[in-house]
Amino acid sequence: MQTLRSLPPLARSCLATLAMLAAICWLGPLFTAFDPHSPDWDSLSVAPGVNGHWFGTDAIGRDVFARTLAGGRLSLTIGLLASVVALVIGVGYGAIAGLAGGRVERALVRVLDVFSALPFLLVVILLLTLFERSLGLLLLAIGGYVWIDLARVMRAESARLRDAPFVLAAHAAGATFSQRLRWHVVPNLLPLAFVYLGLILPQAILVESFLGFLGLSVDEPSASWGTLLAEGVQELDTAPWTLLFPASFLVVTLAAFQFLGDGLRDWMDVRGQVARSEPVEPAAA
Amino acid sequence: MTSTTHIELSELRVSAGSRELLAGLSLELRGGECVGLVGESGSGKSLTSLALLGLLPAGLNGQAGMRVDGRDIEFGSRTHAALRGRVFGLVPQDPLAALHPLRSIGRQLLETLRVARGMSRDAAQAEAEALLRRVQLPEPRQAMAKYPHQFSGGQRQRIAIALALATQPRILIADEPTSALDARIAREILDLLDTLRREESLGLLLISHDLPLVGAYAQQLLVLQRGVVVERGETRAVFATPRHAYTRELLAADQLHALPAPAVDAPMLLQAENLRMRYRGATSNALDGVSVQLHRGEGLALVGESGSGKSTLGRAVLKLLRGASGRITLDGIELDALDAAALRALRRRIGVVFQDPYASLDPRFDIARVITEPLRIHGIGDADSQCAKALELLQAVGMEASALDRYPHQFSGGQRQRIAIARALSTSPDLLVCDEAVSALDAHHRAAILALLAKLKRERGLALLFVTHDLAAASAVAERIAVLEAGRIVETGPTAAVLAHPQHTHTQALVAARPAA
Repeated sequence: MQTLRSLPPLARSCLATLAMLAAICWLGPLFTAFDPHSPDWDSLSVAPGVNGHWFGTDAIGRDVFARTLAGGRLSLTIGLLASVVALVIGVGYGAIAGLAGGRVERALVRVLDVFSALPFLLVVILLLTLFERSLGLLLLAIGGYVWIDLARVMRAESARLRDAPFVLAAHAAGATFSQRLRWHVVPNLLPLAFVYLGLILPQAILVESFLGFLGLSVDEPSASWGTLLAEGVQELDTAPWTLLFPASFLVVTLAAFQFLGDGLRDWMDVRGQVARSEPVEPAAA
Repeated sequence: MTSTTHIELSELRVSAGSRELLAGLSLELRGGECVGLVGESGSGKSLTSLALLGLLPAGLNGQAGMRVDGRDIEFGSRTHAALRGRVFGLVPQDPLAALHPLRSIGRQLLETLRVARGMSRDAAQAEAEALLRRVQLPEPRQAMAKYPHQFSGGQRQRIAIALALATQPRILIADEPTSALDARIAREILDLLDTLRREESLGLLLISHDLPLVGAYAQQLLVLQRGVVVERGETRAVFATPRHAYTRELLAADQLHALPAPAVDAPMLLQAENLRMRYRGATSNALDGVSVQLHRGEGLALVGESGSGKSTLGRAVLKLLRGASGRITLDGIELDALDAAALRALRRRIGVVFQDPYASLDPRFDIARVITEPLRIHGIGDADSQCAKALELLQAVGMEASALDRYPHQFSGGQRQRIAIARALSTSPDLLVCDEAVSALDAHHRAAILALLAKLKRERGLALLFVTHDLAAASAVAERIAVLEAGRIVETGPTAAVLAHPQHTHTQALVAARPAA
C-alpha cells in the first residue's frame, strides 16, 4: 500500500476538510451552551449572532448551530454505516459472482440488472412507509440502494482475478472455492473497494438526506441534515438561515467527497501504471 | 534512391538523475545495411531507438553527437525532430496498438500520404495501394477498406511497415518487430524487411532480445548489457568468435539439447484419451481428439504455434477447463470418475507453473505463504513443518532463506519463476505441468530455469508436461515431443529425432523457422 503522502493535493485537502467537518460535528457541542432539542423561548427566529446564537434559531427557538451539528452527526453516521453495509454486500456478491464464472455469474449479473431496473428509491420509500421505521431498516434501505454499482465493479475485477495465474495455481493445487475467495480474491479486491467507499459514501449521505427531506428518515425531535432542510424550507420567508446553514454543510461535505473520490480514482490509475512499468530491471540477476 | 544515407550517432549517454541508463553508445547506420542491436529487457536498447528519433521520455537526460550524411545535427534540436519520417521510420513492436482501431487502414495511409507528402486524393490512393503491394499484403485494394482487427498479427505488422514507408524514410527502426508473432510469421516479416533493405537500399536498425534471430539478418551486431555495449562487430565474426561471456550465453540459449531417448520401462503415469474442447463462440475445436501418454519421470514437450491448442491441452490435463471432454487417468485413477472432494485431493499430485512470473504469485502473500499454500490447502503438517518445507524447497530451487518473509514484487522475473516452481513442488507431485514457463524470461534466466527443471526432474523422478513454442527449450527438458496444429497432434516421437528429421510438413516449417545459428 502507498502512503497518504502520495495522494494528489486536492484529494488531501478534501480529506482534511472532511476531518474538520467531522471534528466540528462531534466536538462543537463543547463550545455551545445550547441544546439542539430545547427551545430558547426568549429568542424565536432570531438572526445569526443575536443572543449568542451563532447560526440564529428556528421558529420555536432551537439553536440552529447545535441542530446543524446534531444533524451532521446523524447524517454522517448513517452514511458511513450504510456504506459499510453496501461495501460488505457489494464485495461479497461481486467476488462470488466473478470467481464463480459461467452460468452462476451470468445469473447473478441478471439479478443485478433486475435490481438496477427497479425504481429503487420508490421501493425504499414504500419499505419505510409500510414497516415500522428503525435505524436498521434505514441502513438496509440506503445500503441496498448504493451497493449495486459497487457489486458490478467488484464482479468485473473478480472475474479478472479468476483467470489470474496465481488464482489458477491455487485452483490447480486443489483449493476450494471458498479458499480461493477468502485467500486471494477478496484481499485483492479490498484496495479497490476502499476507493469506491469514497464514491458511495456521498451517495449514501445524499439518499439519507433525500429520505429525511421527505420525512422518511429519523423522527422529530432528532434531526439529520435532510430533516433540517425540510424544516428550513418551511421557514424560508421568515428565517432563511435555518435552511442556509445545514444546506451549506451538506454541500461542502458532498463536494469534498466528490473531489476525494475523483482524486482516489486517479491515484489508483497512476498506481496501475507504476505497477505495470515497474519490473523492468531485475535488481539482482 | 541510389545515394546511400549515412547516420553516425556517437557517444550516446542517457541518464535518469544520477543513474546512467546508456553509457556512451556509438552506432552507424547506412542505407542497404542492417545493424542488429541485441540485449535483454532493461539493457537500454529501446532507449537507443527513442534517442535516435529524438523522443526520449521526459525526465531523462540524453546527449550524443549526431551526423546525417556528413552534416552535424544538434541532438534533441528541432532539426533532429525533423528527421522523423523523412529519414527515420519506425516499425512498432505491437502493430495492433500502433494502428488506429476505428479507421480503415486505407484512410490511415491516405491521411499520412496527404499530410506528409502533400499528395492529391487520387495520387495518394494509388500510392497507398502501391505501398500495400510493396509489403506483400494480399488483395491490397480490398484491404484498404478493412479495419486493423480484421487482419492477422503478421498482416498488421505488414500494414504498420507500409505506414512507416509512407513518409519515404531512409532508415527503418524496428524495435522488437516480431516479438508478438509466431516464429514462422516472424521470419516472413523479417524476410520482408530484408527484401526492402536489399532492393530499395533502406537502412535497417533491428532491435531484439533474440541474438540468433537478429544474427540471421544483420550485417553488423551490437550486444548491449545494462547500458554498455559489450560486443560489436561483423555478425559473422561475432558468431564465430564471441569475445564477451554474455554474448556466448545469448548464443548458447538457443542451441538444441539432446536428451537420451526415453526409458520405456517406467510405469505409465498420465494417459489422456480423445480430448476435445471448444471455447464458447469459437467456430472450431481448440482440441480435436488429442491423446497423450506420459511415463513416470519422463518429459513430454507440447509444441506448436499460438492457437494450436497446446496451452488448452495443458489446462485440460489440469482439469481447469469447463466443457472439455475426454478421458484422463493419472496413475490408473480416472479423473472424471472422482467427486469434487476426491479430485481436489488428487490435485496435490500435479503441480503447475504458468508463463507470467509477475502474475503467478499473489502480490499480497509473502513468499513463505506462497510456497506453503498447497500444504495448507491439503492440511499437510503444522505451521512449523510447513515452514521447514518451504525453506527446503527454496534451497532446492536455488534461493536464499531470507526470501521467506519478503513479497513477490521484491524479486526479478527469474526469481519469481523459481518461487512458483517451489510452490508447485511443495506437495511432492508426480507430474509438473509447465505452461510456457520460460517464455517470458530473458535468455539468461531461461537457461537457468531450464537447467533447474532438468535437475529436479532427474533428482525427484518428476514427470514434465512442458507446453512451449520454443523448440530449444523443449529439447532441454523433454525426451519426447508432440507437435500440435489446429487442435490435433500431427507428429510425435523422441525429441532429438523429431527435430533432426521432422516428418510432417508443419513440423518441418517450425524447425525451419528457427534461425540458423
